[in-house]
Amino acid sequence: MFDTLLRGRPWRLPLFLILAAWAPAAAAQEAAQAPYAGSDSCQPCHEEIYSSFRKNAHAFLDTEKGRGWAGRACESCHGPGAKHVESLAAADIRNPAKLAPLEADKSCLECHRHQATQVGRIRGSHARNLVACIQCHPIHGTEKVTLSPHPAARINAQCADCHADVWTSFQRPHSHRLVQGAMSCVDCHNPHGGALIRNMRVAGANEPGCLRCHGDKRGPFAFEHAPVRLEGCQSCHEPHGSVNPRMLVRHETSRLCLECHARPPGAPGALGGIPGGFHDLASPRFRNCTVCHIKIHGSQVNRDFLR
Amino acid sequence: MNKSLLLLLAVVPVAGQPGPSPVREKATLGTVDLGYRWTSAVPGDFATYRSVVNLQDGFRVRGLDFHSTDSSRRLYDKLTFFADSWGDPYNTARLDAERNGAWRLWIDYRNIDYYNFLPSFANPGLEQGSLVNQRSFDMRRRFWDAELRLRPGKRVSPFVGFSRDSGFGRGITPFVTSGNEYPVGTTLRDQTNNYRGGVDLEFRRWHLTLEQGATAFKDDQLVFTADRNLGNRRVPLLGQELFLAQAAQAYGARGESIYSRGVFTAAPIEAVNLYAQFQFSQPKTDIRYSDNGRGLFYLGATRFFNTLESLASGEAKQPHTSAALSAEVRLHPRIRVFESIFTDRLHNASSLLLVQQLFFATGPAETARIFTPDRLAMNYSRQQADLFVDVTPKITLRGGHRYEWGDARLRSPSLAGTANPETGELKRHVGLAGVNFRALEKLAFNLDYEGGDADASYFRTSLHDYHQLRGRATVQALASLQLLANFLLLDNENASPGVGYDLRNLAGGLSLRFSPGGGRRVSFFGDYTRSRLRSDISFRSLPFLDRADSFYRDNAHTATGIFELALPSGHKVVKPRLSLGGTLFRSSGSRPARYYQPYGRLLVPFSDHVSVYAEWRWYGFTQPFYIFEGFRTHHLLFGLKLSL
Repeated sequence: MFDTLLRGRPWRLPLFLILAAWAPAAAAQEAAQAPYAGSDSCQPCHEEIYSSFRKNAHAFLDTEKGRGWAGRACESCHGPGAKHVESLAAADIRNPAKLAPLEADKSCLECHRHQATQVGRIRGSHARNLVACIQCHPIHGTEKVTLSPHPAARINAQCADCHADVWTSFQRPHSHRLVQGAMSCVDCHNPHGGALIRNMRVAGANEPGCLRCHGDKRGPFAFEHAPVRLEGCQSCHEPHGSVNPRMLVRHETSRLCLECHARPPGAPGALGGIPGGFHDLASPRFRNCTVCHIKIHGSQVNRDFLR
Repeated sequence: MNKSLLLLLAVVPVAGQPGPSPVREKATLGTVDLGYRWTSAVPGDFATYRSVVNLQDGFRVRGLDFHSTDSSRRLYDKLTFFADSWGDPYNTARLDAERNGAWRLWIDYRNIDYYNFLPSFANPGLEQGSLVNQRSFDMRRRFWDAELRLRPGKRVSPFVGFSRDSGFGRGITPFVTSGNEYPVGTTLRDQTNNYRGGVDLEFRRWHLTLEQGATAFKDDQLVFTADRNLGNRRVPLLGQELFLAQAAQAYGARGESIYSRGVFTAAPIEAVNLYAQFQFSQPKTDIRYSDNGRGLFYLGATRFFNTLESLASGEAKQPHTSAALSAEVRLHPRIRVFESIFTDRLHNASSLLLVQQLFFATGPAETARIFTPDRLAMNYSRQQADLFVDVTPKITLRGGHRYEWGDARLRSPSLAGTANPETGELKRHVGLAGVNFRALEKLAFNLDYEGGDADASYFRTSLHDYHQLRGRATVQALASLQLLANFLLLDNENASPGVGYDLRNLAGGLSLRFSPGGGRRVSFFGDYTRSRLRSDISFRSLPFLDRADSFYRDNAHTATGIFELALPSGHKVVKPRLSLGGTLFRSSGSRPARYYQPYGRLLVPFSDHVSVYAEWRWYGFTQPFYIFEGFRTHHLLFGLKLSL
């Protein structure tokens, strides 16, 4: 890991450590704490929210002494409410829905920062693009709109609210079965982020997430097809949907293969040597590469993926 | 009983009550959605219909959800169960149960029928009128996943989990021999079991997850035929007509893997967040394979043989290590720095011994023992630094740099005609920039830019010198009107000699959601996306290695619309709702296609708990270059929805 760091941009490490040392001095000072009012003070005016919140996963805070919010579950997110109870002014209470995303997330991360679900948060594209927790998690929800929505169709609808362009890809004729509700976006992507690009999930410890369902492509194979390991399934497939059979990124299999397998033997350049010269592309037999190279994801028996 | 005792009895419970508490009454909620679907005859290609849609006639449990809270807490606090599309080829179920602070259990199940028989794919006989896809499947994939966590939300929370992914079914696959390949039937059966357990340690300033897992895998594909088969070769070879009289193939792969995972987060001080991750897995596979075939096969050098028998035994191992280290430092309330490093190292080593016997019409049999070791090594690393500046409370700017580097080494394919290993290298600098602008509560937009400059990349079509711009804007124009715009541009070029790759992907979309009065009477959702993909690359055309160009074009329009209307009704409860809409996909380019799915739905609620509905949907799919693959069909569905 350390040599990995130094091989990249070694000057970054000391710079980063210096910046980190400065950080405490620059950190914001905590505001003076105003008095709390207690959750039951909220009920008279916010009866509907209060009632639905009683069935919410966060309601346990009112009785859980270990968390320090016993009797003050509402104020665990909204902050001390005594002043608001007295004045009834909206300005006197913290409303995460109206705060800037970073500010809103502070109250969530106060408890959830150090949890398994948040481990990829720093690298996650949602955090980078300032998507607040409450944009996906309705905190006041009842059982029907839970913090973690299920089934798949509900998750997909929620993701499509922002990622409408991605959702349209699933309207193509060949796509994963998200429209049918058999899969959801979070089967492949971890919305909280992760070490891989595009918030991709992993299978097991560090295998590509696609293998969670496509176990037959897992291997290891005696003869691996390099793109599967080096750049993943997306090298050849468009997982969100395609007009091409098998969600391939090209309309003809031979084009898809030969776009990579075009390097003359011995010539420098990208991976992918030219296949032997006996294939005659004028013949339909050879324009369908996977008719012979049937184990194209990797073969246990044959170097050329013929069986 | 005197008055003071009564007063005491009345007061004590109230005084002892610890303030407000979550609802403790037993509550059960749920809905059941039952339906019956009729499908019209499918004019066109039924196999394509099954490959794309695959919905059939019959009774269906379209949806079922059940929520229960139990005040007694004898078994659970909360239990939720969902089931979806039972009776259809794609169905799911999920159970979540929890006793607060004691345990949490979830079980996830899904079943997906995978039918794929598109005559235009993997069909060397297409030009002769054959509509047989030689790589077709009629399979079912099932997936179970379960996890039990003890003491959820507590400082020490152990967990155990199990998942199973399995596939079984049949299909068509070619039996490949030198000089010809013969499409034959196959049965497929694979199964992967995953067992895992670990512990989460959650403290105020740090968190650690340790997980240990194991995977067991098996793949038992079988091929058998006893029918004479002339294969894909259309002309005799050296005056001989090759054929297959009988064939059998048995794959028996057994695999296992042990993996370890550790994840650590910490906030040593308020302004610093650290994150580290280490993962190691070592899958390995034991291979047993046998095949035999009878017929007339070509060996090469003008020799033919009649029977082949092969037996193979081998092993593959793939140690795989990944690690990541990230940090976020808030230098100032308005300035944040992210730094992350990621490395991924994989090494696949295998060896296979193949014993092959060939029997000739005349002369002695020949036996060959072929030992083939193989290697694939890949090292990939990535370092990224980002700076985030909140210029104002409404504007956040970000900029950064990513450097990716790696190397790969693998054996050249035997067909490449060289014994030297192939080596690949990756060196790519990427500049990052972005802006997040929240102008008003009702207007926000986000722009993300990535610009990459590679000295080397693994493949000819990899990201090389590229620019990617992604934008998203949301406008809440009125309380009832929301607009969302998306934009994506990806420009990727690799002008290296012998490559000449140029890709441009451009997509833009606009969504509109209009629901006056909260959508009680009328609501509309519409979305339109336009995308254009252009890819140009040269390649070497076989057999003479002439330079040729591969052009791929995909210009697509996708539209979705749903219009909902509450029909006038004098009744307080019976308020029918009509939905009209559907999706439209139309593309031109290398594989033009039209795929229309209009639909209409009438929902009539008879009470708060009972409603009925009728739904009509039409599926129409055509491809101008592959007219034989089109289909169209009507679906009519009547349903009953009950809610508790």
